[in-house]
Amino acid sequence: MRLPYHLVKGCGGFVFAAQGCQIHSFSSGLEHVSTWRHPEDKPNEPSAEPQSSPAPEGPPTKRRKVEDGQDSASNGQPVESANGKPKSRKVAQYDCPANERPFIQGLYATTDGRHLIAITGSDKTIWVFEHDGAGNLKQLSQRAMPKRPCALTITTGNRTILSADKFGDVFALPLLPSSTPESIETLTTITTTTTTQSPPRSTTPSTQPPSRSATPSAKPFKPQADPLTVHTGRNLKALEAQKTSLARREAILREQQQQAAAANRPPFDHTLLLGHVSMLTAICVGTTFSAASSDGRRREYIITADRDEHIRVSRGMPQAHVIEGFCLGHEDFVSRLCVAPGGRAEVLIAGGGDDDLFVWDWLRGRLLGRAGVLEHVRKGVAGQEAAGKVAVTRVLACGWEEGARVAVFVVVERVPALLHYELLEDNTLQHRETIPLPGDPLDVEAIETPGATARLLVAVYPTEQDGSSLITLDKDEAGWRQGRVENLPAGGDVKIGHEELQKILYSTESLRKSSDFD
Amino acid sequence: MGGDKIRKDKRQKREDYRAAIRKEGVSELPRKKFYRQRAHANPFSDHQLIYPPHPDQMDWSSLYPDYVVDEPQEQPTPAPETPSDLDLAPLRPKRISQEVEVADIGCGFGGLLVALGPLMPGTLVLGLEIRVQVTQFVEDRIKALRVQNQDAQLYRNVGVLRANTMKFLPNFFRKAQLAKVFICFPDPHFKARKHKQRIVSTTLNSEYAYVLRSGGVVYTITDVPDLHEWVVQHFEAHPSFERVSEEEQEADPLVNVMRTETEEGKKVERNKGQKYVALFRRLEDPAW
Repeated sequence: MRLPYHLVKGCGGFVFAAQGCQIHSFSSGLEHVSTWRHPEDKPNEPSAEPQSSPAPEGPPTKRRKVEDGQDSASNGQPVESANGKPKSRKVAQYDCPANERPFIQGLYATTDGRHLIAITGSDKTIWVFEHDGAGNLKQLSQRAMPKRPCALTITTGNRTILSADKFGDVFALPLLPSSTPESIETLTTITTTTTTQSPPRSTTPSTQPPSRSATPSAKPFKPQADPLTVHTGRNLKALEAQKTSLARREAILREQQQQAAAANRPPFDHTLLLGHVSMLTAICVGTTFSAASSDGRRREYIITADRDEHIRVSRGMPQAHVIEGFCLGHEDFVSRLCVAPGGRAEVLIAGGGDDDLFVWDWLRGRLLGRAGVLEHVRKGVAGQEAAGKVAVTRVLACGWEEGARVAVFVVVERVPALLHYELLEDNTLQHRETIPLPGDPLDVEAIETPGATARLLVAVYPTEQDGSSLITLDKDEAGWRQGRVENLPAGGDVKIGHEELQKILYSTESLRKSSDFD
Repeated sequence: MGGDKIRKDKRQKREDYRAAIRKEGVSELPRKKFYRQRAHANPFSDHQLIYPPHPDQMDWSSLYPDYVVDEPQEQPTPAPETPSDLDLAPLRPKRISQEVEVADIGCGFGGLLVALGPLMPGTLVLGLEIRVQVTQFVEDRIKALRVQNQDAQLYRNVGVLRANTMKFLPNFFRKAQLAKVFICFPDPHFKARKHKQRIVSTTLNSEYAYVLRSGGVVYTITDVPDLHEWVVQHFEAHPSFERVSEEEQEADPLVNVMRTETEEGKKVERNKGQKYVALFRRLEDPAW
């Protein structure tokens, strides 16, 4: 079947849209310009895809990644894998081939429109592309993260990528990896101290680059228990056995450790900034005047949201270890954060598994208001009258009419409509209308048009046979005029079942907690 | 099945025992054998936890009933730094006259709590424990001690909560609320793969820094030398903390209490094991 477009992003006057493992670019008139394909995406050999036979196929992704790395390394394209060795034990857990596909999971653009950044899922890779200003992408780097990135953002000034991962950690990566990693390493040890596992105030400078998986002190194995800490006779015996075999193994182990240290050494610079003990779902950067300082300079803050209802506000680099506050009050997972545009940067709109959107004064952790989502889904969408819960997947805020009005568009998973709110002067978020769509929206983006009218581009699924899955919405007096983007590039046909595809496209509701054990 | 029957009998006995001890006015101390639970809990899983969405919504009155303030309903409440006054206001629970200032993270069977209570009579001390049975034991223990010491009014300032602090510490405590945090004999998680489950890490230390006021102290003790090393390295690597000098450490009377009064500390004592102590002071945040 033909894959729908599932991500749209405006970048430097062009529009980039992801379809499966491909990124297509379109001019502002929505004419197709070019296409980038993931190296593992082989549209002409659909038989090579792992099909609906999950058990026997289940190709170990990580092993595949290493092979790819060797391939592209020979092409002069350095592949950077944080952890070279395949963890074959873990691979067995991924029985679902849907997650094995390197679908584009996120698409981000720098504010200057010169770079596009993509996350691919199964290979945990962050890709940075240079945009030539004419819709063409040039791949600059490919960085495989230690854990799967869930969301990323770019700091003001477009220098640093902040990547929030499934393990709860936020890493900072330079947008453009330096050709001389050494110099970067020294820079980070000076500017940020949170990652360096070695104490910064200690007099012995560590030459080892910060790596969170490695224990602070890499030293030969020695049993951590001693005869006084083991509690049973059998354990004591085991301990003694361990000690006798130790001497024999020590030499081998030391050698192995050295090799492992070399392999674990991340070949690209990445700095651990902060971490939650929960899966991160969203990250954004807020800039505002610091409460304490009086120099009138704007400060940057890192706002992170997790599956355990938290929104955390940390200082920006290099003080990301300082938690400024939390925005607490959500009662279900938070999946989307959006700082209001148009000089309203102190306002944060957050949505997730709650029935409402929350409007926050994020620096003070103050709840400014709430706006119903579930009630408008029930009221305004055909077939959703009995909906019991909602999962917000997109919150897009755009400043229109020279920033005088802030329009907020909200996408709810598996709901075939777009909810339109307005952020009023007094920071209340008011529902304006519910725009029905021919399919479930997957992503929405405001795009610049030659005229003054507002235009939205929406990716929808499912679409009828051969219909375009990209829809334009143009504001006119009567409401929103719907148009379909025609002449989409051919291809994107993949043998994949609806069910499997839905698993990839609708992943937000699964964040909801359903456990009932102690 | 015989095994099933035995297990059932055990469970039945356990339930009977607990029901008896939970009756009002019972002053008998609970016995550990009816509260045993596996020593480890996975901090990453979604346990059925009860926690407030916001510290303002935390109901402390049931934990510290003697500190409840009788206030007229319409009294304007002083706005702390997070007055989420819109929707949260109707949920505001009964206030207590002072705040919890000392937290024992992973309090286990509550040895330290029970020792701290009479030592710090003017301070509210809270134990946090992730295991249900163990939390109930401490609850029953505190209840019995309160009854036993009715006249001296002891143990009114001690409470215990079931919580996963690695995830939900900021749900209970506001910024800079705590003066002391105890982390005693934490689960060592020896395997490198499980190091993220350790209760001390550079990223988690940011949360301890958040709940601690500047000048506040984290007390740590363990009998595992490697874990001690890990704890020291991760706190020293965190710019918000500095290690308290050994001199000052040994002068702190609470250090000795921590060494001798924790259940785990007593066990190590019996086995003639080593105990490693480290204290870290919360520094003032740098200018921003």
